Amino acid sequence: MQLVIGNKNYSSWSMRPWVLAREAGISFDEVQLKFDDDGRPRGIDRYGVAGRVPVLLIDGEPVWDSLAICETLAERFPEKQLWPADPRARQVARSICAEMHSGFQALRGAMPMNIRGRHPGKGMTPESRRDIERVVAIWASCRERFGGGGPLLFGRFGIADAYYAPVVTRFQTYAVALSPAAQAYCDAVLALRAVREWMDAARRESEFVPGDEPYASGHR
Amino acid sequence: MLLVIGNKNYSSWSLRPWIALKMLGVPFDEKRIALRRAETKAEILRYSAAGHVPILRDGDTVVWDSLAILEYLAERHPQLWPADRAQRAKARAISAEMHSGFPHLREHMSMNTRKRYPGQGRTPEVLAEIARIDAIWSEAKGPFLFGNFTAADAMYAPVVLRFRTYEVEVRKKSYRDAMLALPAMREWVEAAEREPESIPELDLYG
Repeated sequence: MQLVIGNKNYSSWSMRPWVLAREAGISFDEVQLKFDDDGRPRGIDRYGVAGRVPVLLIDGEPVWDSLAICETLAERFPEKQLWPADPRARQVARSICAEMHSGFQALRGAMPMNIRGRHPGKGMTPESRRDIERVVAIWASCRERFGGGGPLLFGRFGIADAYYAPVVTRFQTYAVALSPAAQAYCDAVLALRAVREWMDAARRESEFVPGDEPYASGHR
Repeated sequence: MLLVIGNKNYSSWSLRPWIALKMLGVPFDEKRIALRRAETKAEILRYSAAGHVPILRDGDTVVWDSLAILEYLAERHPQLWPADRAQRAKARAISAEMHSGFPHLREHMSMNTRKRYPGQGRTPEVLAEIARIDAIWSEAKGPFLFGNFTAADAMYAPVVLRFRTYEVEVRKKSYRDAMLALPAMREWVEAAEREPESIPELDLYG
């Protein structure tokens, strides 16, 4: 299996399946394509038909889109319990991942993922604040209802945590003030070995992608 | 089982689980909440804190978001995805692509079942997205994308109606025609045409 990803500093979509597979101990070969200035991954046409990262190649066949990759991994590795085993918890996990997949446009636009960047206070608009409040409410509800078995959304690690991991890094980059409970969840995500590995690699990257750097100064 | 949906004329997200349930032959109650009215938000929040339709309530299980509902239904009715593993992965990929993508099409060719806006909304970005959909559809095995009706067809059903409204031509006319001929699709369209509400800001071109 190969996982084609973009820049680790910027590509929130790539981070999700990568963190999922790595943390769950599913082995894969990483293929990294760097973004051009227009945000298009250089060389993607060889792999994906949708022209975007991430792409998972299984026996050479492409599966694209982070959510489809996560569902496909969950199906192929049932023993890893990437979705919660409890049916009610599983449906909530699916719902909040789908919500993240198609929503939170204001948060994405105003606070793009930028792991090595530090822009405290930037990007806080009424709309992004509403998105943040919804994220925090989702976390609180999952932790309260299903989080008894550990520090993560459904206790143990799963797709939902991988899905919200990029948001955790955004809260760090933009220094979003959080309640103690929300901060504790962020800390638990940041302590995951796969998340640390991804973020360390992101900090070592030097490429600058203008479209993901609305708050940078001194560049072009 | 209760499916909470928005206006049939406008709510593309609602059509997806609705048509999947109809095609599965699963009986369900429908709660329609007219969108963009003063009381809309409060009504939706009675069913889900996410604040968006569609929402499925099945006993004490609440599932929100069209794609999550389809996966929930597929757990109980596996025929909702292709039986072949590789085909199923592909069906999930194009469904997820539709779920998070095609922003220009959504903006400039929003679903408006009863209207006809031939030629409208065709910005360069929209045309590129139409070309991508045309490419996906042109691989349809027939009559539907993966032979029998699957969740992928449910995800693309609103696009079929958009292309009808905006009179967008595609190469695989047989796919569009098969979708429009479904009794469930006709039922949705007829209900949309009878809806009394109109939302001026969603009637993009008059």
